[in-house]
Amino acid sequence: MRAPALLFAVAAGLSLPGAAFAHASLEQPSPGYRERLASSPPAVVLRFDQEVTAFPDSIVVLNSQGRVLSDQAALTANRRAVLAPLRKLPRGAYTVRWHILSSDGHPVSGLYTFGVGVAAPPPTEAFGASGPTRAEDIVRWAYFLSLSLVVGGLGFALLVLRGVPPQLSQRLYKLIGLGIVATLEVGIVGFIMRAEGALQLPFRKLLYADLTPIASGTRLGSAFTAMTMGFVIVSVLVYLAWLFDKVVLLWPALLLALGLASGLSLSGHQAADRGSSAATELADWIHLSAALLWVGGLAVLALCVWPLARELRRTAFLRFSRLATLLIAALLGAGIYLSIVRLPAVDDLWTTRYGEVLLVKVGLVSVALLWGAFHHFVARPTLASAEPSGWPTRLGRSLLGESSIAMAILLVAAILVNSKPPG
Amino acid sequence: MQPEAEFVHWLFATGFLVLGVCLLAESVVGPDVWGRSIWRAYLWPGAMFVMGVCMWPVMILFTNSTIHMVAHSAWAQVLMLSGGAELALARGKLRSPYWHLTVGLALVVSGAASLVHEQNDWLFSRAAFVHHAMGWVMIAGAIFPIARTFRPRSFALGAGFAATLLVISVLLYSHRDVAEIFGHISPIAGTPHR
Repeated sequence: MRAPALLFAVAAGLSLPGAAFAHASLEQPSPGYRERLASSPPAVVLRFDQEVTAFPDSIVVLNSQGRVLSDQAALTANRRAVLAPLRKLPRGAYTVRWHILSSDGHPVSGLYTFGVGVAAPPPTEAFGASGPTRAEDIVRWAYFLSLSLVVGGLGFALLVLRGVPPQLSQRLYKLIGLGIVATLEVGIVGFIMRAEGALQLPFRKLLYADLTPIASGTRLGSAFTAMTMGFVIVSVLVYLAWLFDKVVLLWPALLLALGLASGLSLSGHQAADRGSSAATELADWIHLSAALLWVGGLAVLALCVWPLARELRRTAFLRFSRLATLLIAALLGAGIYLSIVRLPAVDDLWTTRYGEVLLVKVGLVSVALLWGAFHHFVARPTLASAEPSGWPTRLGRSLLGESSIAMAILLVAAILVNSKPPG
Repeated sequence: MQPEAEFVHWLFATGFLVLGVCLLAESVVGPDVWGRSIWRAYLWPGAMFVMGVCMWPVMILFTNSTIHMVAHSAWAQVLMLSGGAELALARGKLRSPYWHLTVGLALVVSGAASLVHEQNDWLFSRAAFVHHAMGWVMIAGAIFPIARTFRPRSFALGAGFAATLLVISVLLYSHRDVAEIFGHISPIAGTPHR
């Protein structure tokens, strides 16, 4: 047997000596996470994978008005389950908040929902859960910026530069790598902040809070899981492309990153709110993808091509200008369609908070369009004919200006995504 | 689908065993002999990078507490960073020897994460002991890869680094959540499973 095969066989053998027990965790809640019951259950029972210590308020069941409908909790005989008897529950949605001392001495907390005769809301909409905060708006903005660096950077390299020129390689890969790392980090922070909003726990208790109902029982959790794992694969592809100078690996990375952006569309208002359909999900994904390619492409043009590759400025600008026209058309088409779906009455634009934020976004988009139109109709023909002295430096600053407006649009988009549409 | 955590611990114990054995062999025969086959130059950095990639599903699947999620993401990132840097050095994409310091950084961060995510005392249970021991072994053992950056041909430093990884491997193999340690277990730790 060859050495690598022998090494693999030994490693596999050492890794498979059976299974044993692990960290304390909630194994089986009854009713289950987001379970829809036909009638009132007699009790809430939480089964853990090891012995736990319970308190009288270890399980609290609340209705949608915040009224407590559970009696004192107690341990079962084997000390691995906690039971709280319930009064007769009428039809409605209910929130279970629980906390115990796990067998290893760690306090563990959690929350989930169930429904009697109705569908249970996601844990992020449980009783007492708070909506997105200003800090979450900033985190969402950082997430959009990170995504734009990844998607826009890869898109610019493949669609505009049609490869990675050696003089741009280092900075381009650094920008894309920064985008991937930030996407992963900001994604984790954003998920924990949303969980904090749902669980409403102080920081120390949040550290030991059970996030499973949010990770596995919500669109947000599914998107977080898929996007985290997906962007790890994107990072591996980009790293291998850089390590072995295989630009071809950037294609699956770009397609995967674009596909993963749909995670936001499939977990946001366009998928979950009233009036949502496959068309709104698709429109949202097109809107987001076009924005990411445009904003990220502008950043690469301004930060990589302009300062580092004078000989590529003209070609890159002209090609990006053509691509940007298509992207803006897709962005506007999808955006107008979504606005009509979400705000069926015109006066919603100034009578609702969602409409007001949308108006600010439309204003900023108008500025960006005018700026882009100047580049397209004035700068582009000049560059296409010749390269006059003085233009490139001023155009570089102008591109940075347009990038700044684009980033401001992403900030307003982050606030818009975190706002509740009317209706 | 969520694999048993102990199973996951043993998978990574095997990973550290592979790393330790490779580094020990490299120290014994010397980097010149070790590097005669090109695949060997990529072996332990590649294994370290793959271990980092494999740590992400662990982070995603074990969401039963925030602190575990954060700790696993820290381990995933530093393993990928140090493995990736070593691969790039072997490939010649990175040239500065200071990139070797990422391995020391990975051990320090991993050790700190192991200590921070364990809230109980050393003798609370075997899991607590393993987390404390592993944390301090990683932090103390970081001296070997850091010093090796400046003396890359030192047998003692190479062997010390390999020994650190082998000790981590043994600790991970001996990990049990509710089990005695030196005949002791806290009365509130529950019934030992083994």
